[in-house]
Amino acid sequence: MCSKLHAWGDSLKEAFEQCGMAMFGYMTELDSVEIEDVHEIEATGDDLEGLLYHFLDELLFLFSCEPNIICKKVEIVTFDVDGAEMKIKCKCYGEEFLIGKHPQGTEVKAITYSAMQIIDDADKHEVYVIIDI
Amino acid sequence: MVVRKYEDELQYLEKINSHCWRIKKGFQPNMNVEGVFYVNSTLEKLMLEELRNACRPGMAGGFLPGVKQIANVAALPGIVGRSVGLPDIHSGYGFAIGNMAAFDMDNPDSVVSPGGVGFDINCGVRLLRTNLFEKDVQPVKEQLAQSLFDHIPVGVGSKGIIPMNAKDLEEALEMGMDWSLREGYVWAEDKEHCEEYGRMLNADPSKVSMRAKKRGLPQLGTLGAGNHYAEIQVVDEIYDKWAASKMGIEEKGQVCVMIHSGSRGFGHQVATDALVQMEKAMKRDTIVTNDRQLACARIHSTEGQDYLKAMAAAANFAWVNRSSMTFLTRQAFAKQFNTSPDDLDMHVIYDVSHNIAKEEEHIVDGKPKRLLVHRKGSTRAFPPHHPLIPVDYQLTGQPVLIGGTMGTCSYVLTGTEKGMLETFGSTCHGAGRALSRAKSRRNIEYTDVLKKLESIGISIRVASPKLVMEEAPESYKNVTDVVDTCHAAGISKKAIKLRPIAVIKG
Repeated sequence: MCSKLHAWGDSLKEAFEQCGMAMFGYMTELDSVEIEDVHEIEATGDDLEGLLYHFLDELLFLFSCEPNIICKKVEIVTFDVDGAEMKIKCKCYGEEFLIGKHPQGTEVKAITYSAMQIIDDADKHEVYVIIDI
Repeated sequence: MVVRKYEDELQYLEKINSHCWRIKKGFQPNMNVEGVFYVNSTLEKLMLEELRNACRPGMAGGFLPGVKQIANVAALPGIVGRSVGLPDIHSGYGFAIGNMAAFDMDNPDSVVSPGGVGFDINCGVRLLRTNLFEKDVQPVKEQLAQSLFDHIPVGVGSKGIIPMNAKDLEEALEMGMDWSLREGYVWAEDKEHCEEYGRMLNADPSKVSMRAKKRGLPQLGTLGAGNHYAEIQVVDEIYDKWAASKMGIEEKGQVCVMIHSGSRGFGHQVATDALVQMEKAMKRDTIVTNDRQLACARIHSTEGQDYLKAMAAAANFAWVNRSSMTFLTRQAFAKQFNTSPDDLDMHVIYDVSHNIAKEEEHIVDGKPKRLLVHRKGSTRAFPPHHPLIPVDYQLTGQPVLIGGTMGTCSYVLTGTEKGMLETFGSTCHGAGRALSRAKSRRNIEYTDVLKKLESIGISIRVASPKLVMEEAPESYKNVTDVVDTCHAAGISKKAIKLRPIAVIKG
């Protein structure tokens, strides 16, 4: 089964950040998450779609494996989208996912390219991503 | 997608009989073979409605309707026979879920496609029997459900409790159920009653990425979430007494346990990694498909072979996973009834896979051919006397386990000769999602769903109660319709119907 994430912001960078938050919001109630740690992730891509895909995939990986971090907030510190190889560096604020403390929501199995849309106009910065749940 | 008016699209579809439709070449470009789909009158309406909706102007994005996906698969190089849609068919990534497609391994153009296997590699079902009856379990049903829920890790963020390190994982990926046997988690006879005897021999853990292994290690032995479950079920009807008795099912009321689970994040990562590799390879090998999501590679290319070896490792992961949960289930029951799993006769009836690709021999145009059969949301259903099915089932045919949706019934079928000829020994896998129109009708609260289940005597333990709406039966097709259609079409035969009395979900 799939679900569509829709995120927006005052900039494309913010839309990406919000999309990451939307994904974490699926996995648990973000209100229950405290900020204990910060982790940095990096993602690259040949185009904006690839960049968004790998960015979300890195966040998913941060959660799925040690250190199993559920993020309350993500802050993209490098958002390099000019040039052939695009790059994101992102600080992820959250804590280790603990059953009992954090309600179990939906499991995100994978990010997909299906119907992915990235809108980066003067007044509109939105992304749509379908995730496999 | 070819966008014609709905009425024009219908020209390419022909109803063959009351449970089967034909998709003619030309429905989608470059079809090498025809398509076919099995539906009864109820399911037929859903299929055609999905097509009608997609033909409306302005509809774009997301998944194509099932009939179109079947046709796109028919356009893949090397496909033989027909692109088959089973009654539970619904739109998926590239291939629809409930789609079988077989490719001639002697044709150098033939391809393998991860979309034809699914992201959850070797998602499947295992059925255990017991010698308990409903009257034995009713008084302790709540405790038993709680015990299962406490023993089996479920839901998002859950971790396996069976101790494993990286080396154990490597061995488990290579050995499948042989690893579980060595470690003492399964009985030797469990392997006999499992497809591939619980181990695909061509598995090669070195073809699996570090990332997949890292995702997989903590999840080994967990149930997962979404539509995965463990259920305590009771035999509700026996349609084929003789076949049922060969499975150790003698009477109505007999208690069984059904486990529906797959390869978790591991399988997903393997599929994702392969799709990335194959998209690059397609440019190099000039493979053209109708849909970007039908990423594939020549079977005998490096990418194709690497995927099949990694897929086999993921399949082994899933068998080890179901075996670990079998172990935990046996422990939970043994503790509850203060006896041993042996004394409870908790044998594995069978274990089937419904997301996998297999090399099999089939008769095509009167000649035996080696085919790579992709079954995505489709279960193998081999007939009596087939050499690959266990001795115990040589006369009955392979047991086929069909899990229903939450709170609805499940079925055990057997494979048939007709199925072997028409669908290369494939049948449905479950209920299949209905159209999203069902979602808009769903104004029910999750508390209502839970109350309704309790009112029909089903104990439920869910890790994320608020999400049970997504698994409510209203979102799915009717599994009885699906199974009856397969039976009417003669591609598998009903043997047993089971009804749940306890459900454990993530």
